[in-house]
Amino acid sequence: MLWACVLLPQLALDGVLRRRPPSDEPLVLVSGPAQGRIVHAANASARAAGLYRGQRLTAAQALLPSFVMIEHSAGDEMHWHRLLAAWAYRYSGDVGLLPHAVVLEVSRSLNLFGPWPHFESLLREDLVGLGFRHRIALAPTPQAAYVLAGVEDGMAVLDAPKLRGALSFIDVARARLPDGAAASLQSMGIRTLGQMLALPRAGLQRRFGGDLVAHIDRLLGDEPSPMESYRPPDTFDQRMEWTHEIEHVEALVFPLRRLTGDLSAYLAGRDGGVQRFELLLEHRDVPPTRVSVGMLAAAREASLLFDCARGRLERVALPQPVVAMQLLAPDLPPFVPAGRDLFDARPANAMPLDQLRERLRSRLGEQSIQHLRRTVDPRPERAQTAEPGTKEMPRREGLPRPAWLLGTPRPWRGPPPELLAGPERIETGWWDGGEIRRDYYVARTAQGQYAWIYGAPGEQGAWMLHGWFA
Amino acid sequence: MNDYAELHCLSNFSFQRGASSALELFERARDCGYRALAITDECSLAGIVRALEASRETGVPLIVGAEFQIEDGPRLVLLCENLEGYQSMCALITRGRRVAEKGSYRVTREDFADGLPGTLALWIPANEPRHEDGAWVRSLFAGRAWIAVELHRGPDDSRRLQALEELGQSLGLPLVATGDVHMHVRRRRALQDVLTATRHRCTVAEAGALLFPNGERHLRRRETLSAIYPRALMEESVRIAKRCTFQLTELKYRYPAELVPEGHTAFSWLCHLTEEGVRWRWPQGVTPKARRLIDGELALIEFRKYESFFLTVKDIVDYARSQGILCQGRGSAANSAVCFALGVTEVSPDTHELLLERFISVERDEAPDIDIDFEHERREEVIQYIYRKYGRERAALAATVICYRGKSAVRDVARALGLPMDQVDLLAKVFGWDRENVLEDNLREHGLDPDNPLIQRICRLAFELLDFPRHLSQHVGGFVIFDQPLSRLVPVENAAMPDRTIIQWDKDDLETMNLLKVDCLALGMLTCVRKCLDLLRSHHGRDLSMAKIGQDEANDEKTYEMIRNADTIGVFQIESRAQMAMLPRHRPEKFYDLVIQVAIVRPGPIQGDMVHPYLRRKRGEEEVTYPSDELKDVFERTLGVPLFQEQVMKLAMVAAKYTGGEADELRRAMAAWKRHGGLEKHRDKLIGRMLERNYTREFAERIFEQIKGFGSYGFPESHAASFAQIAYVSSWLKCHYPGAFLCALLNAQPMGFYAPSQLVQDAQRHHVRVRPVDVRSSHWDNRLEPDATSAGGFAIRLGFRQVRGCREDVALRLASARERMPFADVADLCARAGLDSRHQEALAEAGALRGLAGHRHRARWAMAGVEPQLPLFGHASPEEEAVALPPPTQAQNTLADYARTGLSLGPHPMRQIRARLSAARCVDSRTLQNRPHASRVRAAGLVTQRQRPQTASGVTFITLEDEFGPINVVVWSHVAARQRRIYLEARLMGVDGRWEQVDGVSHLIAHRLIDFSPFLGSLDSRSRDFH
Repeated sequence: MLWACVLLPQLALDGVLRRRPPSDEPLVLVSGPAQGRIVHAANASARAAGLYRGQRLTAAQALLPSFVMIEHSAGDEMHWHRLLAAWAYRYSGDVGLLPHAVVLEVSRSLNLFGPWPHFESLLREDLVGLGFRHRIALAPTPQAAYVLAGVEDGMAVLDAPKLRGALSFIDVARARLPDGAAASLQSMGIRTLGQMLALPRAGLQRRFGGDLVAHIDRLLGDEPSPMESYRPPDTFDQRMEWTHEIEHVEALVFPLRRLTGDLSAYLAGRDGGVQRFELLLEHRDVPPTRVSVGMLAAAREASLLFDCARGRLERVALPQPVVAMQLLAPDLPPFVPAGRDLFDARPANAMPLDQLRERLRSRLGEQSIQHLRRTVDPRPERAQTAEPGTKEMPRREGLPRPAWLLGTPRPWRGPPPELLAGPERIETGWWDGGEIRRDYYVARTAQGQYAWIYGAPGEQGAWMLHGWFA
Repeated sequence: MNDYAELHCLSNFSFQRGASSALELFERARDCGYRALAITDECSLAGIVRALEASRETGVPLIVGAEFQIEDGPRLVLLCENLEGYQSMCALITRGRRVAEKGSYRVTREDFADGLPGTLALWIPANEPRHEDGAWVRSLFAGRAWIAVELHRGPDDSRRLQALEELGQSLGLPLVATGDVHMHVRRRRALQDVLTATRHRCTVAEAGALLFPNGERHLRRRETLSAIYPRALMEESVRIAKRCTFQLTELKYRYPAELVPEGHTAFSWLCHLTEEGVRWRWPQGVTPKARRLIDGELALIEFRKYESFFLTVKDIVDYARSQGILCQGRGSAANSAVCFALGVTEVSPDTHELLLERFISVERDEAPDIDIDFEHERREEVIQYIYRKYGRERAALAATVICYRGKSAVRDVARALGLPMDQVDLLAKVFGWDRENVLEDNLREHGLDPDNPLIQRICRLAFELLDFPRHLSQHVGGFVIFDQPLSRLVPVENAAMPDRTIIQWDKDDLETMNLLKVDCLALGMLTCVRKCLDLLRSHHGRDLSMAKIGQDEANDEKTYEMIRNADTIGVFQIESRAQMAMLPRHRPEKFYDLVIQVAIVRPGPIQGDMVHPYLRRKRGEEEVTYPSDELKDVFERTLGVPLFQEQVMKLAMVAAKYTGGEADELRRAMAAWKRHGGLEKHRDKLIGRMLERNYTREFAERIFEQIKGFGSYGFPESHAASFAQIAYVSSWLKCHYPGAFLCALLNAQPMGFYAPSQLVQDAQRHHVRVRPVDVRSSHWDNRLEPDATSAGGFAIRLGFRQVRGCREDVALRLASARERMPFADVADLCARAGLDSRHQEALAEAGALRGLAGHRHRARWAMAGVEPQLPLFGHASPEEEAVALPPPTQAQNTLADYARTGLSLGPHPMRQIRARLSAARCVDSRTLQNRPHASRVRAAGLVTQRQRPQTASGVTFITLEDEFGPINVVVWSHVAARQRRIYLEARLMGVDGRWEQVDGVSHLIAHRLIDFSPFLGSLDSRSRDFH
């Protein structure tokens, strides 16, 4: 067995950077609770200014007055990790995931892709193209490859007898030992794996427990390594989002190249092709523009996929600027046949509300189905909304409010109405610049209708009509 | 227009509800022509004294009241009709507050069962009034209950009025118009919304119906009210106001009587005790000077009826003394001859020159001021004694009102306006240092747009919120003791600490109400002095006391020599860098010089530019002149330069002909001008009158500047004298018994200006031997061990208290196990001392096992191999094969020393990297001392302190340390700004700069900073940053 380890030292950051045009602007990913924000990762120019992983955000801001801050997303990071596993799958049927790394068993692949130095250069070429920084090492056990990749990029130990020697110079702090073991060993004067391996096994077991001894066994190949092994999924779905709006199709070409490149890497990994896929261009207010890309035969070469998609994309007229783009390839031949429920007990005509709503929405368009809800805003015109809200707060009960509230108030025409109740003075809304100051009245028109009208505080006349009571 | 009195009004002491201060409310009430104004904060009288002051200032009568939300009942406003009503309301508030958590209250119907005689009740009906509530109110408050009609332009006010009128008729309760006032003018609506949102921990936009729909809850003009309320309802408010005749000035305060034995009056007993003290202090007979003083002071005490106050202080001090707790009084009255006789102070009226004006404040109709400092580790015993002696009902701490400062104000406002947390922090930082800076530039510098409407809104509201009270906290040690239950005088509530109660008034309130408090404060140096005196007794066979050193050892030339050489690390007060820089220039020779030394390095004299003139005169470089003959008396002792608060008062009386009362007013204004302003009127008065009397404008202006400086950090001579006494005693101890002094100082940590590492190095420079922590001989405390080679004949054995992560009970267990039998090996130690893994690690890391296991690596290996013992199997551990472990290097040892004990007895870390530093052309601190003034040098050292004094604008003092001692670096703001990262983060800092040496004071003025931290590896030498 021979294992290659691809270590991804700044996976999350590369995942963000590869979606942005190249720039020297300092950029950091931030994470942590609101009270203790920390720098999760920093790009080269931010590091040059003294920012580093684990630094408190306030300290970073003291050093550098302005930099781009992006919330670190563990979900995104996992996504990229899986994408790279899918990519590695093209080179080996035995792919595993370790923290910040992908390992693949390569002894059989060497026949296909050439001897190691050549194989290694193939891997590097791909990774550079995909935009991920990496370190690669080769060793007889995945754990050893993982450790070596962290110590020296490009290191290769081809046979098991040499492994012990290669490991013996490695600092215990970099040997990925179980938590706390490295610090304890150092405090006893043990600095290298060689020194550690020279200690009596029983003594180590007694002081550090079974974890350390088991780790040594896995490192040296005396025990197999348990790890999460990777199986590729059957659909490809990837989305890119921008904080700015893209107005011209030409500007979508760069991200499109990334998306089709990722699709290609993915297809290569599962050794298949795609015949049709879809691009969704999302806009701020209107439904997304769908662009279907079909080919005459299944394909997986990056440039071909890109050209096809680009040809379709260039014919599209954008109704609005684009804020996000999604590439969907749902129709891939399933890797493992999907199971089907023999006893499908769904009644034919009944449909739950949620499903009906979704069906209507898909037939009539996203914006046609809305849910009217009350808000907590004390300003009448903002008291209801069709948008989803988040936080429920108590509302004042027992206020006279018309069933039909006009979207915008309009001047009262006709004879002065008879005032029945009021003034109800509403002075509020200063916090977002939308302050109102009004005296509201319930009034009766000559026709006997009940109206909700208002005027300036303390004044009567120049009424505005704001709604009708039922 | 109808007459009106507002009977339901909250001030900003209803925290997070009221949006105006009492003064704003009263001024508005006066401008609107209200007949009276009730302040009815929610279950609180914390703001009532300020309301009283505002009422006096505006002439609008104050009605004392409070608002209550009864848990199982309606909302009520109670107004105090007479003293009895006030007392029962105080008791009610006390009850409600004591049963609830700090900051909240709980009252139930049961609490009102006695009907609170002497109060009037206003029922605030809910939207849907409950008839049953009204009936309950009527039955309890027959003939003194009303329905409060509060109309705020709701949806249908006239129907509401009609409904309440019907309710009143059916219940037989009269109606009265009230306002539910939350702010003085409509403009405050935005701030009130912010407070509401803050109270509910949400943003204003989320607060919705929690906000008031409009701004009507302010003090509305009477014509506006007349259009809303029927005339009769407004007139009723005035009638009620007239019924409330209670005045806060009716409160009479009496000191506890139990200290006076049968057959004595308080005064005769005080005379008796004073005479006893005279015989004790002056066994050979009292000096005529002291006799004269005592007689005069006693007469004054009798005249002002302060006997009981002195008796109380004496009682507390006697208790402390009986327990062996060192204490010392300070303050104007504390340094009287009577207090010397009573043992409250050690500052003798004979040995030391007579202080300027001992009883000055008493003559000025001001409460006597006595603060008592106790050993910081044992002050709690004194506090518990006071509680025990007078009972929790009669003794409580004064409150401290915590107010909004720039940072907290902007934080709350920004949060309420929904700013993201990152930006809230950023904005808070802009408001952090001081608000007089140009805000706009500051905002820009931090990447915030000052023209952004949201930022503008936040800034405007934050400025409005500034100085608003936020919550009550406990005063550091001001006790109020009363003859009767305190809750008859002022409400008592819970403090954050368990078993602590505070009254709702702070020290300014107490002063306004003429209530006396005794300040019981904690002082670390007293702990050190007491421990040192104990060591002298046990190891050196000398039985000394503070008083003995102060008297018998006064004017010790060796001690003053040490002080003049600024060899004062560790001693009281005169150890800071600024103080040490002053000592060689000031050259103290006698006790009074120390009094001045303690007071001179303070913002008052510095801002008033008094320091340099004084030094020049002291050294005879400038003629001593007085602005006038009449001021010679006042300024003679300070060579014509005003340095003390008392001198400024006296000057106002002599040069500007202030009366005693005016001078007292000036003193209060000085103490409070930062908070309330009000000093400007004294500016005109003081300077005007001085000009009239032929003083120069320049002198007058300078005096006024100094008064402003004193405002925030005023230092009176009477306090300086007590501090100087402790400074002298600690200096004497350090000078003659450096070993015992260091040992005591380490045992009193944390305190003072220096870290243990610096203290130990200083002692080593004085030839005191310090021995490492060792499980074979260390105790919890540091101890003295005989050692002929050490200064004074004793070395210091470091104790387990120096080991981070070591608990006292474990150390005691270890020591007593060792007492029975020495430890055989590591396993024996762990078993018999019952060490858990945390302590095993701590001791191994601290190097305390060297005698049992060898070097640190072996100790850790051995410790890690000790398995949890089962009692059945004894403590024998299975035989193990021996392992070879490399011994730690010197650098590793140093590293571990610092990590675990914060100090190293081995070679200084700087010595270990000296070769590399020399290669980088850095000179060490010893070489530096021989460089001529104004030469350009590069030096480097561990950063031990970064200090940014408020008086020195833009300068940071950084102390570097190398193997030969400290280097004082001055960093100007432009250098700091240019090299911000090194300035903030370097642990080993190099400095290119200019070496300045004047009068034995030396500084390195930094031009460029260099970060040498990588040389260090991971040495733990965290700087103590003082800001």
